[in-house]
Amino acid sequence: MRANLDLSSKLALVFLLWVCAFTLSWTFQFVLCLLLVIARFVLPAFRPISQRSAAAFSKFILYSISVAVLVVCLNALFIKSGSMIATLLGFSFYEDGLLFGLRTASRLILLSFSILMFFISTSLPVLIGYLQNKGLPPYLVLMLLLTLHFLDHLPSRIHQIFLAQQARGAPVDAGVFSRTKALLSILSPLVLSSIVESIERGTALELRGFLSKPSPERQPEQVETRVNPLTVCLYFISIVIIAYSIYRWLNI
Amino acid sequence: MAQHLTIKDLSLQYSASDPKALSSLSLEVEAGSCCAIIGPTGAGKSSLLHCLAGTMRRHHPESVASGQIQIGETLFNGLPNHILFPIAGLVLQDPYVQISGVRDTVFEEVLFTLENLGMVPQDPRKTIMSLLERLGIDHLADRKPTSLSGGETQRVALAAILIAQPPILLLDEPTTALDSNAQDKLRLILRSLRGRTTVLLTDTQIDFALSIADQILLLDNGTIIFRGDPRTLLSQIHNFSSTLPIESWLQAQSFLSSHEKLSRHRPMIAKALSLK
Repeated sequence: MRANLDLSSKLALVFLLWVCAFTLSWTFQFVLCLLLVIARFVLPAFRPISQRSAAAFSKFILYSISVAVLVVCLNALFIKSGSMIATLLGFSFYEDGLLFGLRTASRLILLSFSILMFFISTSLPVLIGYLQNKGLPPYLVLMLLLTLHFLDHLPSRIHQIFLAQQARGAPVDAGVFSRTKALLSILSPLVLSSIVESIERGTALELRGFLSKPSPERQPEQVETRVNPLTVCLYFISIVIIAYSIYRWLNI
Repeated sequence: MAQHLTIKDLSLQYSASDPKALSSLSLEVEAGSCCAIIGPTGAGKSSLLHCLAGTMRRHHPESVASGQIQIGETLFNGLPNHILFPIAGLVLQDPYVQISGVRDTVFEEVLFTLENLGMVPQDPRKTIMSLLERLGIDHLADRKPTSLSGGETQRVALAAILIAQPPILLLDEPTTALDSNAQDKLRLILRSLRGRTTVLLTDTQIDFALSIADQILLLDNGTIIFRGDPRTLLSQIHNFSSTLPIESWLQAQSFLSSHEKLSRHRPMIAKALSLK
């Protein structure tokens, strides 16, 4: 199944979900988010490639729910138009704000879920190989590779710097405020070490001929240009949704 | 096929306002021999390797250089403007950054170099496995390159460069991340390259350099303060006590004493072996 859903189809699906995030109502978007979470457990093509990816996705779902609730509550509290729907501990929540909050939250969650789903179920070698085969210039592939590598190693690097700060007596475990304060102090070593490592990694790849003129093995796919029907179908649905949204917008 | 390396009056400044990182440096390395460059931090060891690999001009376009570099018949006035791989292959100090992360196995990681260069042979498995066997890592061929130890990763990085058969191999402090066992393995690998590849390595561990090199170069502030064979350096080591750190001194003394002991016992060992 993983093989059946190739990267082109996955990218087309991400595109469709992004189109949905900007065109459909928030109820549809929440349903799509729910379907994505179910797909992660049910469809092998969307299964995380490693335990670390699975853990990252689960954590992200928890964070997203917290952020969504916060966005909805803040909007309902501060946009004081429409009818008042509830009063809690002396704070009043309003209908228009609530709807705006729901729209914003659902859009953000759908955009981030679709991207995250793509990356947790696609290994870096597969993605890079695909981009090379599609003829993306080596410079762009290198930049993407270094960025993804940086993001991949970011949690472990932050953890290492936290440990180093802790060893020096910084109160990083004292609470949220202390952790936030400590986070500011780790930013400069984090950025500096990441830049240095990215330069070295880029140099190492250059030293192995990565940026040299594309070789026959790396020439873009020219012989077989078979189009996956699923990919076509997903792009077609996206275009239909965009066209319908424009039509609706022009007729308002 | 190993190639002769000649450097004539090479000087380098990272920018016109900076002091000289390399100052009128001249050097000849015989084809197939091994030259070790030692010296304190900031002496210009890595700068020299980057000049030879062709990365200096690319990453420091504002650098100012003069002199000549000749690899085999190819002559460069000043610094090369492009990466010289596969003529000269540079293995960086940190083995982990040399793993591309775009291939799933050690075999594919090594093949990746050949793919980049468009040099994939008819039977890549045979070629790559034979190299991995020479480096003692054939059992790791199907392992994930990012799951290896420091020594193993270093050897994979070395394989990823050696697979292109560069006539000149440049190693920037190859022993930094290695324990003594891994250092011994690297020593054997480098010895096996003698005659086939011209090797230039920098190292802060003087005993490693002494045990492997045909020629030693002692650099300080971008200037050569000693050039000769390991035996001569050992006999004159007291002259460089201000340049070499104390641990280098101790390493050299320890190397000297073990070398002397070995020489003293060599007839006995030879006799014992012949009796056997």
